[in-house]
Amino acid sequence: MIDFLEAAIRIATPLVFAALGGILSERAGVFAVGLEGMMLTGAFAAVIGTWLTGFSAVGIIFAMAGGGLLATVVAIVTVRHRADNMVTGLTSNILALGLTTYLMRILSGSGRPLAIHLDPIGAWPVPVLSKIPVLGPIAFNQPPLTYLAVIGCAVLSVFLFRSQWGLKLCATGENPEAVFAAGADPLNIRMTAVIGCGAIAGIAGAVLSLQQVGTFTDGMTGGRGYLALASLIVGRWNPWGAALACLGFGAAEALELRLQSLGVPLSSYVMQMAPYLIALAVLAGLGRSSRLPAAIGKPL
Amino acid sequence: MMKMISSRRRLSAASAILMLSSAAFAGSALAEDKAAILLPGSANDQSWNALGYAIVKSLEPHGFKTAYTENVADADEAEAVRDYANQGYKIVLGHSGRFVSAMEQVAPDFPKTQFIAVSGNEGAAPNVMSIDYNNAQFGCQIGLLAAKMSKTHKVGGIYGLQGVPNITAQAGAFRLCAAKAGAEVTILYVKDMEDAAETKEAALSLIAKGADVLTGKLNAAEAGLVQAAKEKHVYVTGRGFDQTAIAPDLVLTNIVEDWPSMIGSAAEDVKAGKLFGTFVQYGYDTGKTTGASLKYSADKAYGPAVPEAVSKEVDAMAADFASGKLKVTPTDQDARSGS
Repeated sequence: MIDFLEAAIRIATPLVFAALGGILSERAGVFAVGLEGMMLTGAFAAVIGTWLTGFSAVGIIFAMAGGGLLATVVAIVTVRHRADNMVTGLTSNILALGLTTYLMRILSGSGRPLAIHLDPIGAWPVPVLSKIPVLGPIAFNQPPLTYLAVIGCAVLSVFLFRSQWGLKLCATGENPEAVFAAGADPLNIRMTAVIGCGAIAGIAGAVLSLQQVGTFTDGMTGGRGYLALASLIVGRWNPWGAALACLGFGAAEALELRLQSLGVPLSSYVMQMAPYLIALAVLAGLGRSSRLPAAIGKPL
Repeated sequence: MMKMISSRRRLSAASAILMLSSAAFAGSALAEDKAAILLPGSANDQSWNALGYAIVKSLEPHGFKTAYTENVADADEAEAVRDYANQGYKIVLGHSGRFVSAMEQVAPDFPKTQFIAVSGNEGAAPNVMSIDYNNAQFGCQIGLLAAKMSKTHKVGGIYGLQGVPNITAQAGAFRLCAAKAGAEVTILYVKDMEDAAETKEAALSLIAKGADVLTGKLNAAEAGLVQAAKEKHVYVTGRGFDQTAIAPDLVLTNIVEDWPSMIGSAAEDVKAGKLFGTFVQYGYDTGKTTGASLKYSADKAYGPAVPEAVSKEVDAMAADFASGKLKVTPTDQDARSGS
């Protein structure tokens, strides 16, 4: 059971960061379709940063910069040049896949992908607390980015709903004209929100490459950005809700692997669909009750 | 989109013009055999398609002039195959099993051309062949090795694409031979053979159930398998020296595929006038080329963790395959997911 919960948390962690970034962007009124590419760029930059300097902290900063850089492109195109959010997001995802794959090869100078093998960031057990039975290993014996995901939920909640900046950001997603009338610049707010989204989604990539696998492989995000997108809708653009939805997906995938190993007489293909079927069912169930920010996707 | 290559062909065209202008030796240039490969993707992907490019290049020392076409879409396969056959190519390779059906359509019109599907699993008489290495033999050896190295007597395998013949052969044989050697076997399938994080989760779930030797047949995701083994300190087998580099003390061996030798061996026969219309699997029982081999590093078959008694036993199994004493034919049921 502990092992199952640990697995669910591990699978959920990168999703949570991506969802947090997505909330920032969508609350400000820009669809976060580009999460997948921002994650992938982050995963790549994290490995390169760590490999160059030997410090995973530098890798994480690289990841934020990488994700932020791609997001800057998205922000300029969608916010400044009023391009369609969906098309731009999807295009940036394809760009990120091609670019990271290409860079991985030219950096090696040989045409073969760079062979980087890093030791993944290990667990940071909290003294005393990590010894509590059951709860200890699950809540207090995690790697640093997992704690940061929880802190991130708290910080983003306070920022969005309790700070003036956050309220302005949410207002930009609902009624940008009102924000403009109140003397703020909704374009700047959207730009900043999208770039912030990229930086946070970059950390999501770093979780995969630095904390879980220890290397970068082509397209290693494997659609997780889209799952995060679903999570934030299921979580109704609320950080804690989205995190809970991510945990649900994590649990579904962890359960799928365990059902397979029990030898449930079902094709592995059917079982692998489970997390996505659940996502579809939940989204369909929410249907009309999920209310998008009123001005999302509408260019200014 | 089809993109014809290449600087090589332009070069040969240029040299042909030179020859014509000097009006000499035109005959010998025409007699040279030609081989071409059709790639489903881009030749510089550093993965499956790059391997295809390397395969066709490896035929040059066998006396073939080579050419290749990249990014052949499903709908264009038959046309691309026919195009090369029309130009008098002796060997036309398709770099995936799915080329078999296109080749079956075209082959009757070109009885002197050998059509080869790389890693396919069926042939058609008289001149369409599939080539693969004997996944079952190597899967079986890994099964024995894993069972012998396990202290918990629980071993696990992680694969993708359940039901694909070469996966069934390797995973099924792994189960059969590990179970015969007394281990409890669990097999898991992941969605994506490139997803290292998902594969690592699958591996961790097997380790949590007590497995202490893992194997798999994956692509980029192989890194996740080895990383899980490294973190939990269990043994693992890989597919190349990249894996040995990640966990040198825990990697037992790798199944290293030797495509140039498989295709080269067939090409020699074709050059000598023999045509194949079957699925040819190279293994320990096919003489000079075994299709793949167990390699820990360039000059060693097994890692330092494998005791000599065990490595001898695994080698003895290879000898039994070679002599025909041992045969293994796994079924879908053997390759099922679960234990």
